[in-house]
Amino acid sequence: MTDLPASGIHGHPHRRIDGRAKVLGTATYAFEQDVDAATYLYPLQATIARGRVRRIDTSAAEALDGVVAVLTHLNAPRLADTDDKEYAVCQSDEVAFRGQFIGAVVAETQEVARHAASLVSVEYDEQPHQVVLPDDDKGLDDPDEVNAGYPSDTAQGDVGAALADAERLVDETYSTPMEHNNPMEPHTSVAIWSAGSGDGDASLLLYDSTQGVHSVRRTLAPVLGLKPERIRVVSPYVGGGFGSKGLPHAHNVLVALAAQLTGGRPVKFALTRQQMFTLVGYRTPTIQRIRLAADGDGRLTGICHDVIEQTSRIKEFAEQTATATRMMYAAPNRRTSHRLARLDVPIPSWMRAPGEAPGMAGLEMAMDELAERCSLDPIELRVRNEPDIDPDSGKRWSGRHLVECFRTGAERFGWADRGEPGARRDGDWLVGLGVASSTYPAFTMRGSTAEIAYVDGRYVVRIGASDIGTGTWTTLSQIAAEALGVEVEGVRLELGDTDLPMATVEGGSSGMASWGSTVVAAVDAFRDRHGKDPEEGATARAETPEHADRKKYATHSFGAIFAEAAVHADTGEVRVRRMLGVFDVGRIVNPPTARSQLVGGMIFGLSMALFEHSVMDARTGHVVNHDFAEYHIPVNADIADLDAIWLDHEDTNANSLGAKGIGEIGTVGSPAAVANAVYNASGVRIRDLPITPDKLIAQSGSTKTGSPQSGHM
Amino acid sequence: MIPAAFDYLAPTSIEEALAALSSDADEVKVLAGGQSLIPVLRLRLAAPTLVVDLGRLPDLAGVRDDGGAILIGAMTTHDELTREPLVSEHATLLAKVAQTVADPQVRHRGTFGGALVHADPAGDFPAAALALDAEMTIVGPSGPRTVPAAEFFTDLFTTAVSEDEILTAVRVPKHTGWGSHYEKFHRSAQMWSIVGVAATVRLDGGTVVEVKVGLTNMASTAIRAAAVEQQLVGQPAAPEVIASAAERAADGTSPPTDVNGDADYRQHLAKVLTRRALITACGC
Repeated sequence: MTDLPASGIHGHPHRRIDGRAKVLGTATYAFEQDVDAATYLYPLQATIARGRVRRIDTSAAEALDGVVAVLTHLNAPRLADTDDKEYAVCQSDEVAFRGQFIGAVVAETQEVARHAASLVSVEYDEQPHQVVLPDDDKGLDDPDEVNAGYPSDTAQGDVGAALADAERLVDETYSTPMEHNNPMEPHTSVAIWSAGSGDGDASLLLYDSTQGVHSVRRTLAPVLGLKPERIRVVSPYVGGGFGSKGLPHAHNVLVALAAQLTGGRPVKFALTRQQMFTLVGYRTPTIQRIRLAADGDGRLTGICHDVIEQTSRIKEFAEQTATATRMMYAAPNRRTSHRLARLDVPIPSWMRAPGEAPGMAGLEMAMDELAERCSLDPIELRVRNEPDIDPDSGKRWSGRHLVECFRTGAERFGWADRGEPGARRDGDWLVGLGVASSTYPAFTMRGSTAEIAYVDGRYVVRIGASDIGTGTWTTLSQIAAEALGVEVEGVRLELGDTDLPMATVEGGSSGMASWGSTVVAAVDAFRDRHGKDPEEGATARAETPEHADRKKYATHSFGAIFAEAAVHADTGEVRVRRMLGVFDVGRIVNPPTARSQLVGGMIFGLSMALFEHSVMDARTGHVVNHDFAEYHIPVNADIADLDAIWLDHEDTNANSLGAKGIGEIGTVGSPAAVANAVYNASGVRIRDLPITPDKLIAQSGSTKTGSPQSGHM
Repeated sequence: MIPAAFDYLAPTSIEEALAALSSDADEVKVLAGGQSLIPVLRLRLAAPTLVVDLGRLPDLAGVRDDGGAILIGAMTTHDELTREPLVSEHATLLAKVAQTVADPQVRHRGTFGGALVHADPAGDFPAAALALDAEMTIVGPSGPRTVPAAEFFTDLFTTAVSEDEILTAVRVPKHTGWGSHYEKFHRSAQMWSIVGVAATVRLDGGTVVEVKVGLTNMASTAIRAAAVEQQLVGQPAAPEVIASAAERAADGTSPPTDVNGDADYRQHLAKVLTRRALITACGC
């Protein structure tokens, strides 16, 4: 663990404030909220990939004891705004993907609801569907922009000429799989609808598992035709999100519709693990053609990154896969593009490090290949191509210490021991080292407000932020305590409720920079108005401060990820024996929770490299491995010696707090670091993630001779 | 999740059980240890109208000596197979296979007979039953009959036991003094085999006198690796000899392709695992 200078309360380890309640089970998650006369929802889901519901017979379900209501497109309350087709739930007979909601049963118990749902018979008019990402871009769409508002395509210089004249060239295609967000706590929602006396005074109380109560309210209000202040969203504890809980999804609308049919009784809905594979977003599969041109010394002359990815026919989500390539390395000639296949599939969405995770997997594998073709150490190749300014925007870096990350990591990890591919053997295992760069934008989102109140001798900090398990309860309390000049125990934080002041979503690794800056500003406002000795009940508020200098800089976090992989010569099994991430992420507020974020991110990336792959059945549009028996996420046995450390560079150019965000960067470089280590171990380059034993064996068989007992892969 | 409603019967005699199976219920399922049936019911992949629980039938569990063979009651649990001295002495392979099945909870509830009749191609016991030349005792309306393991597994999840019959016991010829091993390849500890190899071998002064190899998940049923057996008989039990014979483990197979591995990979694994299983079984 890096020791940071003791400059105040933050930077010092503090136990999780919410830890005790979670361990004791007294922290109430959305589904556990104690509401009177609860009813339970079980959804009806389309069993075709595209078409229309011709006939739906709910009579048997309605006749069942304990059924409160059956919702279909025929009786669903009308929504006020159906432009966003993800939220236009049960508003027509159209089916746009397999698993889409076509109705719901609400009953006295979950079991009755589920049984009643099985009694609903549905007939469809099926239409031909296309659910598999094509591997060429003919006829694909060029989106207006990609996620987070970046342009779809960029170009500088003459990349064609650079490729034609390259002394060293990589021209390879990399692919990353469809992956699904699987937080431990599934998406859950409890809706209580009050009809009011008519005329627009209906209201909705929603207990929701979300990364942003205010974003749920703001998104749902126009859909439901309610003024935002008529919706209250409460979400004090969340068991993981990874982006899928960053925005509401169709289940929130479904439960809000159903709650209008129960006479005011609450409706509880928890998605099953299998339903999570259809309804709450996922990471698009990507096919990335990457071309790197370099001179004989390994200096890049051209970078070209062309991406094919998918979205749903009914709603566009264009993953920003190539955006990191725009800023990562210096090269005078550069081009990136994204092309979208619109398929009859569920709607992709945010999944931890959308864009950077798959895009840097491709780019950093390609850099490894370029290093070999230039006979350069992979770290040296990256050092030679380190840009002085952001090549994309032309701005200065707010702080970029990538080379220091590599140097620090190389020494700690024993990088000098790396040998030629396939050269190191430990019994039946081939052992190798790999490295990759990591990066993630350092976002500070404006638009939050924090309130400080002095109540019963303590400072109450109110902000409608979220803690999805990342440690926000603790870190925001630490930041407030330091700004106030009191112990953490002198602060009582309130978050996760739209009754609290507006806060931006917990996404884009922006939470601490955005909310932390806002809390500090509110403390300043409080002290300005009330001084050091406030009266009981004194309050003050402030919004996220403008950080005037920020626009002058390109603000990004950086990291270097090292991995040691062992590949079994006979079976192709891969074990990641060691991983080290060295990060340049600005100020660290709470080392234990920060380390969890970074290490957790690295595990996420390791999982992308080796395990996760949602397998789409082309015939049915169904993800066949839609549970934890078949969709493998890492367990303890998969994770050996894994560590994350950070450099001591607070980045006050990026924001006043100096913190750059830590939630996603661990995920970004890790897939390529593992893939490159597997290559160094085995001499086999797999460009199609995940790297599974069958691919390694098949590839080794086609490139080398050797039978199992010969001991060569 | 709970199963759809069904009628439940726990007969206390074979006659009563057979009568239930011949009843006019729409769909009858036999419950042994329930380690496959109950999840299937809970997922509502099956919705029988009647479940007949064999748990209260007398004399269906336990292992006894039957002269040249041991007789294993169909309701004997996997865990009992791992601890039963008769099995350890005369059918070591079975004890070793039983140790690899799923997790301790499943091994304490799951039954040998249930696993055989379920006939999951990825299940571990069928390959061992083939390798040990087991004989199945099946009781039906017209009395008991005996079916050799080689004729028992007829297709995916399908055996010679018809809907009105019950597997009551498995007769395993004594393989006293044979070497054995089960080599299993799976993604995580409690998961099904991607491929498994059950090998048992009788040596005489370092020469392979008899050898039998059963393969898990290399076809729609467990199968024997006949080519390996033929090549190895009469040969010295040496690693290079075994490795050469193991190269034939996938001869004539057409294994499935699924999310855990394609057919080519399974064929490759069969060779690797056969080599490992035989080397361990031979102790060389």
